[in-house]
Amino acid sequence: MEWSIGESGVRYTAKLSDSEGTLSLGALTRDGHEAPHSEIGITRDSQGARLLVDIDGSAHIAHVAKVGDDWWIHINGRIHVVHGHEPGSADSTAGEGGLTAPMPGTILEVHAKAGQRVREGQTLLVMEAMKMEHRIQAPKAGEVLSVNFAEGDRVDMGATLVELGD
Amino acid sequence: MIPDWMTSAPRPFDTVLVANRGEIAVRVLRAAKESGLRGVAVYSDPDAGSLHVENADQAVHLPGTTLADTYLNGEAIIEAARSTGAQAIHPGFGFLSERADFANAVKAAGLIWIGPPADAIDTMGDKISARRCMIESGVPVIPGEEISMGVDSDHLGVLASAAARVGYPLLLKASAGGGGKGMRAVHEPKMLRTEYEAAAREATAAFGDGTVYVERLLKGARHVEIQVLADSQGNCIHLNERDCSLQRRHQKVIEEAPSPAVTPTIREAMGEAAVQAAKAVDYEGAGTVEFLLSDRGEFFFLEMNTRLQVEHPVTEMITGIDIVQKQFEVAAGLPLGLSQSDIGITGHAMEARIYAEDPSKGFLPAIGDLAMWRAPAGPGIRVDTGVREGDAVTVDFDPMLAKLIVHAPTRNAAARRLDNALSDLRALGVITNIGFLRQMTTHPDFISGGITTDYLDSREVSDFAEPEPDPATLVAIAAAASRFGLDRAGSGSSESFVDEHTGHSGDPFRTLTRSFP
Repeated sequence: MEWSIGESGVRYTAKLSDSEGTLSLGALTRDGHEAPHSEIGITRDSQGARLLVDIDGSAHIAHVAKVGDDWWIHINGRIHVVHGHEPGSADSTAGEGGLTAPMPGTILEVHAKAGQRVREGQTLLVMEAMKMEHRIQAPKAGEVLSVNFAEGDRVDMGATLVELGD
Repeated sequence: MIPDWMTSAPRPFDTVLVANRGEIAVRVLRAAKESGLRGVAVYSDPDAGSLHVENADQAVHLPGTTLADTYLNGEAIIEAARSTGAQAIHPGFGFLSERADFANAVKAAGLIWIGPPADAIDTMGDKISARRCMIESGVPVIPGEEISMGVDSDHLGVLASAAARVGYPLLLKASAGGGGKGMRAVHEPKMLRTEYEAAAREATAAFGDGTVYVERLLKGARHVEIQVLADSQGNCIHLNERDCSLQRRHQKVIEEAPSPAVTPTIREAMGEAAVQAAKAVDYEGAGTVEFLLSDRGEFFFLEMNTRLQVEHPVTEMITGIDIVQKQFEVAAGLPLGLSQSDIGITGHAMEARIYAEDPSKGFLPAIGDLAMWRAPAGPGIRVDTGVREGDAVTVDFDPMLAKLIVHAPTRNAAARRLDNALSDLRALGVITNIGFLRQMTTHPDFISGGITTDYLDSREVSDFAEPEPDPATLVAIAAAASRFGLDRAGSGSSESFVDEHTGHSGDPFRTLTRSFP
């Protein structure tokens, strides 16, 4: 299994060795390269969704929940999402340059058209989701390749709204 | 059966219907139960199995797919009260809570409206009439102008000339807006058109009215509001202030009481002004008068919210008064039984609103299933929640999941308690603002008590980014959790129940019949 954390596209693998119920991190790779890591040992707690995590000799408790391919982890007062990927699979996030609908909603305004050059941060679309307006802005300067929806259209989460080229 | 405390009341009732959902419905239903009242819930399809239904003695299904069919359907709600024998209706906040016509309809149906008189809602609900009423009553208001927008009139021309007279930066408010909807800041004339169109559209979508109000935007001001309580005998007191200056696009993020910026002199003057405002509309029940407090200590009337407010718990913590219980008492026609000199301030309270939203994506609402929801507990910690573990967070409703409230002897202690409690809140499966709130509560600008209403909007979210985690630890945990098969354990279900004290799995009572060597 390959793993990525939060919004980062960096892929990790972890090699664990089992010694009397304690899983120790033997090796970590980061985008295919061996990466340094702390001494980490993990044991299963009697509580269902709880792990005892020893990091360089200090003890921590992690609560975990699996949702889809993701592990949600609460440790040291912070919440993290670790995504699982089949080895070699492409990123589940949209392809380079595609701007996707972050929520299901309705397109209110279209401010860009194909062929137009836009600057970083420029508002391309305004959509309504959960009764609030959200501006879909260009993450980088570039040329609009296509605008896939018109005012009044309903869009699903993850729908590609605008294709942006260099 | 009428509870003991209400037997001598002029308008006794034994059953209250709560015309709301989520955490506020839970809060009011629990208060009803504590007061010896029967609680009736209403619910739409997506809420069939929700916590507020579970907390009711009886629940009535509201068929339909839109809010207009369900939580905004006054007729169906009054019918639900009739069919369940509820003599009183509590509207919570949002939805029908500030609809004067609904308040009238409730009364016309012979039921008790747990809220202020319809006339007070009307006057205060319209920002323009509220302002006029406040000027007449001698309550200070912000410089500004009203604009009535005819259907065919030259909206922008009228707006632009009013804006020029009021001066930039200014705030555009749709008269019928609220909760940040239909309200836009305009910093320069060329942005007027865009912001006006957005404000008008939001207000129409949310409330169905289009009149606009233009007022000077006071920079560097704080949002300080006074909780008032009034009974039907004409007694009116205030329960001190709440500071809600930490806002993002006019949505409050963290509220606290007392305000770090309010001196005893300001408190007294502001409290008096709030009572004056409430008396000007013959107010009854619980209400909130909002003020902007300038850095020079002047304050101006902003609006009056003629209902219970999201942040009411911080006032309850520092005064020891259950505001919802007081609402029941006043609705039954009982006197407040409190005078201004009975009201003190004990310690400091803070409330953080837990939203299903992603701060790193412009605070976009998030959806998903709450695979784990474990709220913190301990001295001085209160959680008002509308969700449970396993609940789905959908696009159907407001993304506020819960409110985390803390109470401590001092402001610094309260901030530390809030941070600790936030760090113990285990909400997995849906992205929330918990990490952002932790960054906020520990930020020197917040600790110093100097936050003004423009603070968050003038900063980048990245200023409040959480510390980078150690990837090795997280990846090792994910890999280990998979190896241990925790994804198949079905945690939280009865099969995997493990007794906290004995470590035995299974039903805790089943172990009693087992023999141990």
